[in-house]
Amino acid sequence: MKGSLVASTVFHALIIGFAVSSFTAPRTLEVTDMEALPVDIVPVESITQIQRGDKKAPMAEKSAPTPTKRPDPVADAENVGENDADLKPVEAAKASPREVTSQAPPKAVETPVPAPEPEPKPAQEVAKAEPAPEPDPVTPPKPAEKPAAEVEPAPEAKPEPAKPTETASPPAETTPDPVAEAIEQAAPAEPDFTALPTAGPVPAARPKPEKPVETASAEPARETPKPAKPAKPAQAAGGSSKKSDFNADEVAALLNKQDSSGGGAKRSTETASLGGSKTTSGETLSQSEMDALRGQIQKFWNIIPGMADGGDVRVIVKMRLDPSGNIIGDPEVSATGGAAGTRGTLAGSAKRAVLRAQPYQLPAEKYDTWSEVVVNFDPSQMF
Amino acid sequence: MEQVGLAATSDVTLWSLFMQAGFVVKLVMLGLIGASIWTWAIVVDKYVSFARVRRQLDQFEQVFWSGQSLEELYRTLSDRKSSGMAAIFVSAMREWKKSFERGAKSPIGLQMRIDKAMDVTLAREAETLEARLGSLATIGSSAPFIGLFGTVIGIMTSFQAIAGSKSTNLAVVAPGIAEALLATAIGLLAAIPAVIAYNKFSADAGKITSRLEGFTDEFSGILSRQIDERLTPRQAAE
Repeated sequence: MKGSLVASTVFHALIIGFAVSSFTAPRTLEVTDMEALPVDIVPVESITQIQRGDKKAPMAEKSAPTPTKRPDPVADAENVGENDADLKPVEAAKASPREVTSQAPPKAVETPVPAPEPEPKPAQEVAKAEPAPEPDPVTPPKPAEKPAAEVEPAPEAKPEPAKPTETASPPAETTPDPVAEAIEQAAPAEPDFTALPTAGPVPAARPKPEKPVETASAEPARETPKPAKPAKPAQAAGGSSKKSDFNADEVAALLNKQDSSGGGAKRSTETASLGGSKTTSGETLSQSEMDALRGQIQKFWNIIPGMADGGDVRVIVKMRLDPSGNIIGDPEVSATGGAAGTRGTLAGSAKRAVLRAQPYQLPAEKYDTWSEVVVNFDPSQMF
Repeated sequence: MEQVGLAATSDVTLWSLFMQAGFVVKLVMLGLIGASIWTWAIVVDKYVSFARVRRQLDQFEQVFWSGQSLEELYRTLSDRKSSGMAAIFVSAMREWKKSFERGAKSPIGLQMRIDKAMDVTLAREAETLEARLGSLATIGSSAPFIGLFGTVIGIMTSFQAIAGSKSTNLAVVAPGIAEALLATAIGLLAAIPAVIAYNKFSADAGKITSRLEGFTDEFSGILSRQIDERLTPRQAAE
């Protein structure tokens, strides 16, 4: 036994010696450094209610709008926009339509020209017929009386010249015939001329208005035919020529009178801070706040489980809240869908829940938003 | 080897692990190493002794069944220290001789005395065969628990050190736990060979004992026949 004990000891000494010498420190594990992912927990408001800015910019206390693309700011600009001049948006928008309307009228002036055209021809013819009376400046008044009296009984101005002419008329009665004939010829000729409006020379058009004035001064009788003539050509022209179709008033009605959205020159030169691509309203209740409100009501809402067709009912609760979150007056509860009995039961339970759940914890600074709250419930979501 | 604080080093060789361990853990580890040494000493001893016993049995059986005179065999074996079948044979022959020298009258009494003498010798031989196998069984079953105890103590002190250093860094924790686990490792290292050796040697001892029992019964039968042959004519002659 002693020998075997010695043998065993030696054996162990060898094993332990081998183990100590060979089992050195194991290789250290090569651990590659993991890149830490920073995770921020942000409230939903930061998405639903954000200020316009740069998405990649660091968070800053003060938010600045994104700089506009042309970075030359107008020093004392008061209005926000991209213009070089600092204009109020409304004025800038109204200025341009006015210019357009002012351009339209000249065209309207040009187009009436065809209407006068018929006039010159009678005038010329009258002028052709006139040569006889013209040589005698004294005689013309006389022939004017009779044609005037014959053609138009109405004109008041005629009697006045008629009276002096009557005294001088007797010798001149020979001349009235050609004149009267000429006028009578001119009168029947009018429809022909109106029927051929373009026949007359255009340049002659403008001198004509002058001639009638001259003839009018000389002969009061011709004033009467003229007013009648322009009216007819205008009507005839309206029916025949397309150019005259143009109406300045109608054009004005077709113009775009909508205000343009431009204007203003103010730009930000500050670097943009963290924000969204556009500014959203910060005064609305965020999704999480609405959920909190809904959850607060839901907590007090005892829905009888297994209600037959509760899934179809939608309950809408309207209530007014005071700043401390208590309900002012009576909450208005309306339910739609489902069976009448279920609807009534759910509406009643919703009202009780709404009343029991007060005061509501909502952000005080947004009281304007939640002074009147409308909450929609789908009871099937709560079973 | 410098004595270093638990948290101050990341040296994890076997020797440094052992040296870093606390007093109790060291004691456990040393005890387990001692148990392992003892296990292997027993294994070596039993292997050698069982081989020798088996060889002696073969030799004796060869001689016994060779047709040699029992008196002659007894004379050669009686003056030297014998074991196994030889010891049983010698004890039976001695009892036989004594009874005949004094002129035994009852064959039944003689038969009983010879059987008793052989049973006693057989029991003694079986005892020597199974000696120290019990300690193997004890080591095999208790060494893992002792190692576990060392581990628990080691981890406990390791956690106390963490609490002291106020750091949960794995580099601080790891050496202490590794050192504590070393105790369990040594416990298993001692227990596994012990269990295997116990099973093997107890089975071997059982085989040898049954072989001896077989010889005992056989020899008892031979002696019984001899007694009948020798005592009955004498009684008849008288």
